[in-house]
Amino acid sequence: MIMPDTGHALRVRGVSRNFGGLKALRDVDLEIADGERISVIGTNGAGKSTLFNLIAGVFPATSGRIELFGEDVTGMSTAKRAKRGLARTFQTSRLFEQLTVAENVFIALGGSEFRGGSLRPAWRSPSRWERGERLLERVGLREKGEAVVADLSHGEQRQLELAMALALQPKLLMLDEPAAGFSPSERTHLVKLLREIPEEITLLLIEHDMDIALAVASRVIVMHDGEKILEGTPDEIRASERVREIYLGGSLDEAV
Amino acid sequence: MTRLATPTRSEKSRGWLRPGLIIGLIVLALAIAFPHLVDRPKFWIPNIGIKSLWLGIVAMSLVFLNRYVGLLSLAQMTIAGMSAYGVAYATVTLGLSPWVSIVFGLMIGTLAGYLVALVAARTKAIYFLMLTLALGQVFYSWAAQAVDVTNASRGLYPVPRPDLGVMNLADLNSFYYFALAAAVLCYLLCRYVATSSFGLALQGIRDSPERMSALGYNVNRYRVGAITFASFIASIGGVIVVFDRNQVDPSVVNLNATLDILIVAVIGGIGSLLGVFAGGVVLSLLLNFSQDFTDRYMTLTGLVFIAVLLFAPAGLAGIGKQVQGVKDRVLRKKKSAPVLEPVQEPPTKPSEEELTTEGTQR
Repeated sequence: MIMPDTGHALRVRGVSRNFGGLKALRDVDLEIADGERISVIGTNGAGKSTLFNLIAGVFPATSGRIELFGEDVTGMSTAKRAKRGLARTFQTSRLFEQLTVAENVFIALGGSEFRGGSLRPAWRSPSRWERGERLLERVGLREKGEAVVADLSHGEQRQLELAMALALQPKLLMLDEPAAGFSPSERTHLVKLLREIPEEITLLLIEHDMDIALAVASRVIVMHDGEKILEGTPDEIRASERVREIYLGGSLDEAV
Repeated sequence: MTRLATPTRSEKSRGWLRPGLIIGLIVLALAIAFPHLVDRPKFWIPNIGIKSLWLGIVAMSLVFLNRYVGLLSLAQMTIAGMSAYGVAYATVTLGLSPWVSIVFGLMIGTLAGYLVALVAARTKAIYFLMLTLALGQVFYSWAAQAVDVTNASRGLYPVPRPDLGVMNLADLNSFYYFALAAAVLCYLLCRYVATSSFGLALQGIRDSPERMSALGYNVNRYRVGAITFASFIASIGGVIVVFDRNQVDPSVVNLNATLDILIVAVIGGIGSLLGVFAGGVVLSLLLNFSQDFTDRYMTLTGLVFIAVLLFAPAGLAGIGKQVQGVKDRVLRKKKSAPVLEPVQEPPTKPSEEELTTEGTQR
């Protein structure tokens, strides 16, 4: 048996990942307590997405160990991690484009409700549709249930992303650059949405945009060249010379 | 306000449901009256009627997989052939009763489909296509050589059309109605599965397998389930094949037969569960009548195939929408023409877009 460790939603220990000769991630440690809100920031190629994918189980770690809610999940499939209470959003929208918004959420609710396939007609699950409606209301998509996903705006698709991740009733919610491609007003709306996420849900946010990352998090982790270089409160990060250097070295508009 | 501007799909499809339903019922009525409408029933019923039905059923299993799971399988005729071999083996070699033979055939086909699925569900897109094609060829070679089981190229015979008690299939009309009932049943079954929670999950997998596993779905298990179900549908087609021919031999599962199913599906419209029957009628008409005016039947089939891809990419089932799209455009042009305002031009754009997306839809 694995030692029970109820205090931590996530523990990453000495995790590395190589892609051929490229060391995308080098010996990263990360601990997230239950209910904490963490942002991971860094420029393109810093290893944020690699770290994210390792935790989600998209590909295996080259070395190191990942614990989810005190359980070793290093070799576990994405679907199994999802059932343990891990939900994620996708950076590039991977929604069910040919289906309606309501159907998308309906499917999302199925992962946790049914283990196998259900051969009942979908319309005969009114409670599941209702729960979907409530989720859509929560992310501000109430009016859009009947719309086909392909017809939604970019911002609306991200809102739907969030609704689908919340449908899992996750203990740990991981958001992969939720603000990517957002207009300033959409960003404000997003920050509001993120702040409304219930406190018992642990949040791990990978973000390019400093404003959002610092606004939502209680602790911020800075990554650079595949390594974790700094960890601190939003204020500490804001004041850090090193962070300013990295961001200015990257692209100007991100430091603003 | 944006809601008004963009009509949702379900609103659109509700509008389409009615004419679709009416056309479907008219076609069904024609299909029921068919044996009494033709001048030479002995020729028309088996060669066009029954052949179209089984081609359609097998192609429907392909369309189901393609439309709802996003997999293009070339093994569907092979599965049908396995089911046909199952029926023939049970009848000829084991001497079982007709009902038991039919059930045996269906089980063989479905089980084979399940085993194929266990391997093939792990692959996607072109690899899935190649793998199913390869498995089909493996079975063909085996069927052509395994003298003990399949009687090699001479095949298993005779498999007479049995008297099932409720229906005497030896009578050509009865057999036709048996096949028609099977086709309707297959269609209803596919529609039912597609609208179930399981079917919605399949469509989720079609659009984004990564998301489905992130949501906790076991994507492989769903794919295996869908392929097995489609195999069951194809197996029903196989039962009709063996009774139609009174025998089964390797030519049932050769490459030509495999491609025939693909042609039927594409001509009918690869996204349409009912279009396959139109495709079946077209192909069986080609098979029977092309020899009257050309020796090159394969060339003719190929030309028809290309013509469909060029002019009606959504197949015969998509023609209605295509005509509607053209009509809309013409009407709008007429309306805007006398005013001669270039500002009126934009409204034609969406219908053109609609047309092309309709065409490229899988």
